[in-house]
Amino acid sequence: MAFNDRIFGVLLIVLAVAYGWGASQFPEPFGGAEGITPGTFPTLLAVVLGVSSLYLIVRPDPDNAWPWGRTGIELIVAVIVLVLYAMLLQPLGFILSTTLAVGTLCWRMGARPLGAYLVGAVSGVVVFLLFNFALDLALPLGLLSFLEVS
Amino acid sequence: METLGFLIDGFGVALAPHNLLFALMGAFLGTLIGALPGLGPANGVAILIPLAFSLGLAPETALIMLTAVYAGAMYGGRISSILLNIPGDEPAMMTCLDGYPMAQKGKAAEALAISAIASFIGSLIATVGLILLAPVLARFALTFGPAEYFALFLLAFATLGGITGKNPIKTVVAACLGLMVATVGIDSTGVQRYTFGTLELYEGIDFIIAIVGLFAISELLFFIEERAGSGKKKMAVNKLKLSWADIRNILPSSVRGGILGFIAGVLPGAGASLGSFIGYTLEKKVVGKKGYFGEGDPRGVAGPEAGNNGASSGALVPMLTLGVPGSGTTAVLLALLISLNITPGPLMFTQNADIVWGVIAALLIGNFLLLLLNIPLVGIFVKLLSVPPMYLLPCVTMIAFVGIYSISNTTFDLYFMVAFGVAGYVLRKLEIPLVPIILGLLLGPEMEKNLRHAMDISDGDWTILWNSGLAVGLWVFAGLGLILPYLVGPILRRRMKVTTAAAAGNPEGD
Repeated sequence: MAFNDRIFGVLLIVLAVAYGWGASQFPEPFGGAEGITPGTFPTLLAVVLGVSSLYLIVRPDPDNAWPWGRTGIELIVAVIVLVLYAMLLQPLGFILSTTLAVGTLCWRMGARPLGAYLVGAVSGVVVFLLFNFALDLALPLGLLSFLEVS
Repeated sequence: METLGFLIDGFGVALAPHNLLFALMGAFLGTLIGALPGLGPANGVAILIPLAFSLGLAPETALIMLTAVYAGAMYGGRISSILLNIPGDEPAMMTCLDGYPMAQKGKAAEALAISAIASFIGSLIATVGLILLAPVLARFALTFGPAEYFALFLLAFATLGGITGKNPIKTVVAACLGLMVATVGIDSTGVQRYTFGTLELYEGIDFIIAIVGLFAISELLFFIEERAGSGKKKMAVNKLKLSWADIRNILPSSVRGGILGFIAGVLPGAGASLGSFIGYTLEKKVVGKKGYFGEGDPRGVAGPEAGNNGASSGALVPMLTLGVPGSGTTAVLLALLISLNITPGPLMFTQNADIVWGVIAALLIGNFLLLLLNIPLVGIFVKLLSVPPMYLLPCVTMIAFVGIYSISNTTFDLYFMVAFGVAGYVLRKLEIPLVPIILGLLLGPEMEKNLRHAMDISDGDWTILWNSGLAVGLWVFAGLGLILPYLVGPILRRRMKVTTAAAAGNPEGD
């Protein structure tokens, strides 16, 4: 079956129309435009994208299977870990958040939990030291800021 | 011989102690990146770009380091082809055909050494070709007007999929998506486009964030999906026994492969994969019945390896002279140039002569460094191959986070990177190629600028875009780039498949 390309094609057409509509809303530049306005190039893009997505709908490629079930859950977990990593980087500090994020990812990819979090902690500390002392770039210490020397 | 003079100046830049040091570091890191499964060259170079910024390197030093990484990655790709039978990147596929059987016969060390020498010869030939061809092409490109540039950009997109590409329409879709993302932000007339009033979007979306997200994060997700966390079994490496006769035996194959590879690298739409494929089939034809290809013939390792490295240096020619990259990794190098505020293209040869020639000289020096690194130190890289991806990929992801965070010290960029990563995963599942997206991101502003200039010149007359013979030629080639895959692609792809399948079947048979 070939649903992926068809669904994607429909989404792309929606995008192309929305994008093209957006392009028609830009104000005329001051003094009037000779040939090209801020909207010209986007309009071209919208047309090309629209036409090629029609082709995708008419002549779709065979589908790749999506990972439903456990693998899908693992993927969602990984994305959540990445988002949390970004969110906690400043409040928790680089070392703690890296230990948690890298550790969890290693563990979910099949490492034993102890080894996984150890790798996380070691990599976090090494990169932190490297950046703060060798490269002179301050990564946030967060909760560990009581360790700050200078 | 003004080229020679420039080249000597270039050596002056490249041989400065700190530049040499960074070249060595880049060559080492590059080989590592190429060798490790799950860390392709484009991906590796992309992750290192923000780090090069945060180190505060001078433009020529940063570029020399990352060019060394690029050259090193091509060397490294062969290590996993030979020992694991998985190509580090796509062009290394042909090296598997005879490299892995050699390793199975207990000649892994010879295969590694031969491929290093062949890589060296291929790169050397192509670098000499680059030195000869680039200034000529740059001078020619000075005659290009905005209309020709606009057509050239179209040509670059159209041929990006290569004539072996599967579905050219998907390349078009990808290019459009990239160009659309590039229009976000305040344009040259001061109008806000697609910013939705978000302050962070006023300056547009930083393509480095997009590149790292698309490559690094989506790779992590793919590894999780394939459950390839524990890695594959590796062949043991024996003690090296290589005689002069062995090296002489592969010299002609390497030279042929290198020249072919260079041509394939320069031409739009051919690329390194085709370069190494042609290198392999040509060797088979030339050597004929005397060879035992597919069963561990050293010439079957040398030909495609030289071709692959020749093509990767050849791919630098259009990138440096026209500002139009022909492959994913050169696109990432272009990203570096743009973020260093160097306008790529023919003017670079006059305005930034020291940088261009410094990089070219560094490429020559880097080759010698890589040969030295790769023959005695191959043991270190082999050891590192046994680091299982389940530890490696999370650490690589962390480096990507650090790099992006260090650009602006905001979390907003990190969210963007993760979003691009998820998008990259979905697009790869749909077989939408990522490289045209990146090229679109990079070339978008230039493309619109050239369109605008062309229209200003012609007072809004669209026919200016195909008014000169040169522009028409570029349009025709762009059209061919989209149509040929439908006509020739299936035949070529079937042949490549037959060759690889036949060779993959052989080792079990004997």
